[in-house]
Amino acid sequence: MIRDRNEDTICAISTPIGQGGISVIRISGPLAVQFSSNLIPKLKKASLESHKAYFSKLYDSQNNVIDEVLATYFENGRSFTGEEVVEISCHGSQFISQKILNLLMAEGCRLADRGEFTFRAFMNNKLDLVQAESVLSLIESQSEQSSRLALRQLEGHVSKIFSQIENELTWCLAHIEASIDFSTEGLDVVDHDTLVAKLKSLRVQLNKVVEGYSSGRLVKDGIKIVLFGEPNVGKSSLFNLLVQEDKAIVTEVAGTTRDIIEAQTQMGGVVYRVSDTAGLRDTSDQVELIGVQRTQVEANKADILVVVLSADQKDWGQTIQLSKNIEALSRLFVMNKVDLLKPSEIPEKKKILQGLLSPKDQENVILSSHLDSEARERVLQEARRLTSGAEFLNEAVISSARQFEGARYGLEMLDKSILDLEDNLGSEFVAMNLKEGLISIQKILGHVYDDQILDRVFKEFCLGK
Amino acid sequence: MKASFEVIVVGAGHAGIEACLATSRLGLSTLLVTSNLDRIGYMSCNPSIGGLAKGHMVREIDIMGGQMGIAADKSCIQFKRLNSSRGPAVRGSRAQCDKHVYSDIQKQALSSQANLQILGQEVKRLILEKNICVGVVLADGSEVRAKAVIMTTGTFMNGVMHFGLKQISGGRIGDAASVGLSDQLLDFGFDVKRLKTGTPARLHKDSIDWSKTTPQYGDEKFYPFSHKSSRSFVLPQVACYLSNTTEKTHEIIRNNLDKSPMFCGVIEGTGPRYCPSIEDKITRFADRATHQTFLEPEGLNTDLIYLQGISTSLPEDVQLDFLKTIPGLENVKVVRYGYAVEYDFIEPTQIFHRLETRTIENLFLAGQINGTSGYEEAAAQGFIAGVNAAHKILNRDEFILGRDEAYMGVLIDDLVTKGTREPYRMFTSRAEHRLILREDNTLDRLSDIASKLGMISADSLDRMSRLKAERSQMVKALNENSIYPKPEVNQLVESLGSKPLTKPLTYAEFLRRPEVDFNFLRKLNFEFVDDVDVTDSVEIEVKYSGYVKKQIEIIEQTKKFEGFVLPSDLNYSLIKGLSAEEKDKLSRIKPRTLGQAERISGVNPSALQAIMIHLKAKKAKDPIEQGSSFERSEHIGNNS
Repeated sequence: MIRDRNEDTICAISTPIGQGGISVIRISGPLAVQFSSNLIPKLKKASLESHKAYFSKLYDSQNNVIDEVLATYFENGRSFTGEEVVEISCHGSQFISQKILNLLMAEGCRLADRGEFTFRAFMNNKLDLVQAESVLSLIESQSEQSSRLALRQLEGHVSKIFSQIENELTWCLAHIEASIDFSTEGLDVVDHDTLVAKLKSLRVQLNKVVEGYSSGRLVKDGIKIVLFGEPNVGKSSLFNLLVQEDKAIVTEVAGTTRDIIEAQTQMGGVVYRVSDTAGLRDTSDQVELIGVQRTQVEANKADILVVVLSADQKDWGQTIQLSKNIEALSRLFVMNKVDLLKPSEIPEKKKILQGLLSPKDQENVILSSHLDSEARERVLQEARRLTSGAEFLNEAVISSARQFEGARYGLEMLDKSILDLEDNLGSEFVAMNLKEGLISIQKILGHVYDDQILDRVFKEFCLGK
Repeated sequence: MKASFEVIVVGAGHAGIEACLATSRLGLSTLLVTSNLDRIGYMSCNPSIGGLAKGHMVREIDIMGGQMGIAADKSCIQFKRLNSSRGPAVRGSRAQCDKHVYSDIQKQALSSQANLQILGQEVKRLILEKNICVGVVLADGSEVRAKAVIMTTGTFMNGVMHFGLKQISGGRIGDAASVGLSDQLLDFGFDVKRLKTGTPARLHKDSIDWSKTTPQYGDEKFYPFSHKSSRSFVLPQVACYLSNTTEKTHEIIRNNLDKSPMFCGVIEGTGPRYCPSIEDKITRFADRATHQTFLEPEGLNTDLIYLQGISTSLPEDVQLDFLKTIPGLENVKVVRYGYAVEYDFIEPTQIFHRLETRTIENLFLAGQINGTSGYEEAAAQGFIAGVNAAHKILNRDEFILGRDEAYMGVLIDDLVTKGTREPYRMFTSRAEHRLILREDNTLDRLSDIASKLGMISADSLDRMSRLKAERSQMVKALNENSIYPKPEVNQLVESLGSKPLTKPLTYAEFLRRPEVDFNFLRKLNFEFVDDVDVTDSVEIEVKYSGYVKKQIEIIEQTKKFEGFVLPSDLNYSLIKGLSAEEKDKLSRIKPRTLGQAERISGVNPSALQAIMIHLKAKKAKDPIEQGSSFERSEHIGNNS
């Protein structure tokens, strides 16, 4: 829970737990300098310059030297939180950083709650809600692509789009209201067609944001790949190949993999989350049966369902049929163990497989064998192409479920307003839905008050961010 | 005359009338003091009652036992339902009135009212004992004592009239200004500011060439404002006439702007943006070649014509020059020229929702003194102030209408929460819940409240509960009976311009088709009571039920914040997350609820979070905390 900001000054270790080269302790609040100067006598408020680092020794209350540190001062109003801030960079042992934290708390500094620094930044109008969320994304980003996305959000690209939509919606609403309330004054406030056209173009903008969510989410969370197929077609070998680790046990025995195995891999700055699953077959083995059921559940969560087929398999039809019941973004068909075929047979076999697929899927066939080291690159590249996750990066893309919900509801209300306007329904009905849509967009930005939203955004934060 | 009353009402305009009738009808001995007995219930500007959002308020006042609606119905000489082509929630009734008949009806209502005494004198000062108002001092020096004083002084406090650059002290042609009262309030620490309003010229009807104007007739169907009136007109109905300004008109005005007190800075008060003078109009809408004006008779037995839309404070010779360029007015004879009035008002954030001032106890303010414009806005406040003064004396709960209950609730909440920088006029867009604040469902919204208030007769209450029962019966019938896709039915449906049915539909479902209305259902043999008082609201309620339901859901959501009561002694300067502006505004306005705090302009969403956090932290420290019962009392509407 976020607490009152009465006078108090908060502190936390802002770098990840564990050993690193350095560790940073952030102190924010009206007494940030006072508390730190008790440990670092060299910091004297009168002589401090904002955004300047001071090298000094740090002492405990018995005047023992604890560490040599670099303290950076940010004056009130010019820091991340908008308050007076001191950041102490100490040597990265967990013992030292914890010791310094304890000393600060002994001075009267309070340990920050989850997300409290960012919360203060929001409260002091340094960030809007979308930006606050991007701080979380930035901290947790696992790949270059996702950190770039988060950074763009923090820079306010997404906020700008929402603000623009907010402004345009407000314009439309104001004109509808004026046309109602000034209908007797003989003023032509706005004509029907102009309004419809304006709302429709707004709809296109908002729709783009909503549709961008899936790719934004893919960039942030990574692309989820689930391997799917009959037992013993080589799913686990492919899995090990993809994640470049011998994580799954590979044997000649069908039904070896009985539970979901997950691992992450990266290529070209994109994160892939790969799951190996139990092979699909009728089985009386209780354990294996549960495994098969879990496969179904996992497969439904996939962005890319990789249907693994063995080149020497008698019947591909059943697997392909089963894969059609899975709700994945796209399907990729990997014909595995092509090393079992004569090279001359390969094109023929591929044709047969494509013949079993819908026209849309025919392009998505990849040949692979455990001997083929380039198969990994082909599968991952294809997965990325199919999700087109990377293409959106030059635009502002939303990646949080909360923003998506708000934008989606805004779009729904916008659609209703357009429909009602075209049906010549009373302007007050059009206005009601439009206002609902507007509020939804304003909530995304934190421009209207909603206590639940604030809690939802800030509870995701880890200590000290 | 007695030397003491329970209530004194100062001013007999539209606010004063409702205020004194409310207190005397609630059984309190009341003195109405006015400086001019001939101008009781006088229409100083336009001769009409109602309009968009204003018509709503007239009906609301009426259903709870107020007076304005009756007088408007009885003096109506042209009735119109505005926005009738738009949606049902934004339709507003307007009656043009014979202004003399209107005043006569009001005088009669006052003189026949029990517990009410009327006195023609000017009020010089309030009698204050510390911060409690205990009466008034009259112009002759005598004192009258009371338990509550309601000030409805209109434009009279330090009123100055402007005719071009010539200035005359006064609140209205023929009436002196009241000087001293606002100085007394100023001395007491009130924030007193200036506003400006204006009125157009009055023309002699025989000097107008009517052939150059277009007659405008009223509606044949009359929807009286009052639940007590019948559906037939009392007076004969007359036409208004439409004309318009020309390029020449605009040229003359433009060339003489240096003689307009508004434009050369003589007037410091802010004028109504929504009811601008003609000087304002041609300056602000410079690209418009013409502005419409309606020539409205001020009554059946008068020669005076009101020139709607052309209020001005230009000098008389300029007025005559430009009037003659308006088609039909080439040879016009002006009986009275237009002028502007500047007057003092009290920034309304200094009063509570019950319209009692925050700093002087037992002093209530209503009408233009609170920065509003319009007869209806004034009457609504007069009524609320009257009821609350009475309730305070009778030791009853304060009477506050919610924003989801009545336009009157919106009006007062806006005033005391946001204050105003210009004369405040009601609009439908000010009511965020307007889909359920309709004219047609006034009695559904307010009859329970009216019954608790106890100002309407048992007969009226009976009739209201009968109507409500019939309405709900009819809604039930529409939902329970169906029409079936039989060939003969579909033939009829198609011939009436709707798509044939493919499956059975309830009448309610069928009514939701855009082209279907009650006339349509009648032809399909749906039988119902043919009483517009029943059918009007049912048709709307059923036809737009999806939207109405959603509106109710939205209201439920806002209840969370509206129900979060903020302690009246909350010290905002101790809450750390607030900006200096937020602290200042919150401390001055002292919002009753978190919802009200949210509506204060300049209070950011993050400030509400800070308040919530502060209160939670405080609650954890000292869980028990009590306020005075009067402050905390729930209003009647929420209990129902």
